[in-house]
Amino acid sequence: MKKQVTLIKEYTKGIWETNPVFKQVLGMCPTLAVTVSAENGIAMGLATTFVLVFSSFIISLVRKLIPTQVRIASYIVVIATFVTIVDLVMKAQFPELSVALGPYIPLIVVNCIILGRQEAFASKNSVGRSVTDALGMGSGFLLALFMLGSIREILGSRTILGFQVMPNFYEPWLIMILPAGAFLTLGLLMGTFATFSARKKRIEREFILKKHTSSRQIISATEGGAE
Amino acid sequence: MKTVVKMIVTLSLIGIISGGFLSYIAAWAAPKIEKHRKEATAKAIFLVQPEGKKYESVEKIDFECYKVLGENDQLLGFALPYEGNGFQGKIRLMIGIKDDLKEMTGLQVLEQVETPGLGTRVTEEDYLKQFVGLITEPRIDWVKGAAPDKSNEIQAITGATISSKAVVLIVNDGIKKLRSIKDSGGKL
Amino acid sequence: MTTITENPTYKLELASSPHVHSKWNTKQAMWLVVIALIPPVISALVFFGFYQLSIIAVSVGFCVGTEITIKKFRKRKVSIQDGSAVITGLLLALILPPNFSLVSTALGAIVAISIGKEIFGGIGFNIFNPALVGRAFLQAAFPVPMTTWYTPNYSVDTITSATPLSAMKFDHVFADISNMFIGNIGGSIGETSSLAVLIGGIFLLVIGIVNWRVPIAMTTGVIVFGGIFWLIDPVKYPNPAFHLFAGGFLFGALFMATDWVTSPLTAKGMWLYGLGISLMVVIIRLFGGLPEGVMYAILLMNAFVPLINKYTRPKVFGGTV
Repeated sequence: MKKQVTLIKEYTKGIWETNPVFKQVLGMCPTLAVTVSAENGIAMGLATTFVLVFSSFIISLVRKLIPTQVRIASYIVVIATFVTIVDLVMKAQFPELSVALGPYIPLIVVNCIILGRQEAFASKNSVGRSVTDALGMGSGFLLALFMLGSIREILGSRTILGFQVMPNFYEPWLIMILPAGAFLTLGLLMGTFATFSARKKRIEREFILKKHTSSRQIISATEGGAE
Repeated sequence: MKTVVKMIVTLSLIGIISGGFLSYIAAWAAPKIEKHRKEATAKAIFLVQPEGKKYESVEKIDFECYKVLGENDQLLGFALPYEGNGFQGKIRLMIGIKDDLKEMTGLQVLEQVETPGLGTRVTEEDYLKQFVGLITEPRIDWVKGAAPDKSNEIQAITGATISSKAVVLIVNDGIKKLRSIKDSGGKL
Repeated sequence: MTTITENPTYKLELASSPHVHSKWNTKQAMWLVVIALIPPVISALVFFGFYQLSIIAVSVGFCVGTEITIKKFRKRKVSIQDGSAVITGLLLALILPPNFSLVSTALGAIVAISIGKEIFGGIGFNIFNPALVGRAFLQAAFPVPMTTWYTPNYSVDTITSATPLSAMKFDHVFADISNMFIGNIGGSIGETSSLAVLIGGIFLLVIGIVNWRVPIAMTTGVIVFGGIFWLIDPVKYPNPAFHLFAGGFLFGALFMATDWVTSPLTAKGMWLYGLGISLMVVIIRLFGGLPEGVMYAILLMNAFVPLINKYTRPKVFGGTV
């Protein structure tokens, strides 16, 4: 039997433990392509979160009515509907942003984070849990895109969200707003995250080993939490 | 058999619901999107024809082109959106030219995917203002590293020679197309 | 494990026999390479002035500093005395344009060592030539300063402010071969003088630090591939001698492509690697968007080295294919 975890845990896992970009390495196409500025990163992250949350909501709602044979097709139709909504609303209300993000908004349809969450989570869990999970994954994606976008914008065009933060004598590194800069930044960020989680794990293990002789309760408690 | 029916029913239902919903959204968004597109076109046209007050689409030709009219509805010239190959991809320009097709009134870059910091400098004012009042006959030429000494020459951007040349070639091509219609007795 | 990290010659034992024998150990070899780089350094000072010395100093200083910092951070033994960081710094400085910004030079040096070398685990594990990684980064980061060339001190003709390659590509003018041989042309600090590069390179070949196969394969390749196009249309395409003495070809052939770590181990592999580089150089120079292609050609072939090593491994006598 699968252990039920708290809703808070369901939300936070998308941000850190199973961050879609840094840990699951999903949705690489928009992650690398649109993050030339922090604003683009936020817009893309929000658009994806919107599609993710509403698709998860609908699919977990009707999960028992959809025959298994046509489930992927159904998911895609639902996802595509929400993506089209986002695309149309952006074109109507934020034309400049829509031009900046170009074809990557329609391409949210094929973002594997979204289909992946429907197949792996929303189709098997209750509505509340699915929406929480979608919000968590969306936040994780948004956070990752914002980090990448900020770093690339600061180093590549001296600004963040349009405000100049680097002094004038700083010569912008154009590579950061080119595709190569996206790969470099993502690689270095992933490496940093991996280093931190490896260190955290090692500290936890040492902590458990130390306590092992004195108290057995702590071990069982920690193990319970870590699943 | 029962599953097949169920599959068909489910998919059709989902399709109908989402289709209906989307047509509702599209009906709301379409006029706004159209408005933005028109505004963008108008903005570009008046940037390349600063004295223009009105514009209308040229009919009966197989490409997009606008007539620009002045205060008393007299013909000032044309605004021609035209595209061609740049260094990395298509460059789309708005070419402003007087009605005799002999002198340019301005140039704007509508779309481009040139190298940031290098080729993208063709979108900068310093480069584009060279085209204002530029003589287009027999054709526009470029010089490198020095100020141009003829009235039909512009100076290519150092470090972005390929993109600078590409813009000039696209402008020449576009004007040639207009000229050929005019020469063959067509009405512009 | 640590012994392998510290000693690149251990890498050679991964291949089956014959092993590469050398009378020099890593440390001696590295310092001999530094000596071989003295003639290009002198030519740089002669043709572009003493400011270039500060570029070299900054580049070497930051390479060494980055290496020490990263080794300390990762709690590994600091192996700076093997001289590899010094060589990376020197090579990077010599392939930069004259009068290049010192801040950007420092950035290039940091990138060369951290992303070019240490991120893979340090010397012996890097896939790409670190100095070229640094230059490729700078090329993409600062395209305008990286293609701003200066007229050498003893220039007589008018086209020297551009490099012979960009003059060929954009204006269809061919520079004078004898000026190109001596180095009285626009170009990167240490690359312009073919004479100086040859002196240093031949010294390395004679004392046996670098294998002769890669430079010879590259020279043969560029004469053959460049020659084919020259014979097709001698007006449009430059002659093979131009290819040989232009840009960074000789410098790349003698100092960059021959890097122990990032070049193939087998004789057949070295020929393949050298010919591949020269083919790409000719293609990029004649048909690419950029005037010079030696850097990208070497980096691209670096990526093929593991594959080349795999397919050119000597077979066991009597063994199956």
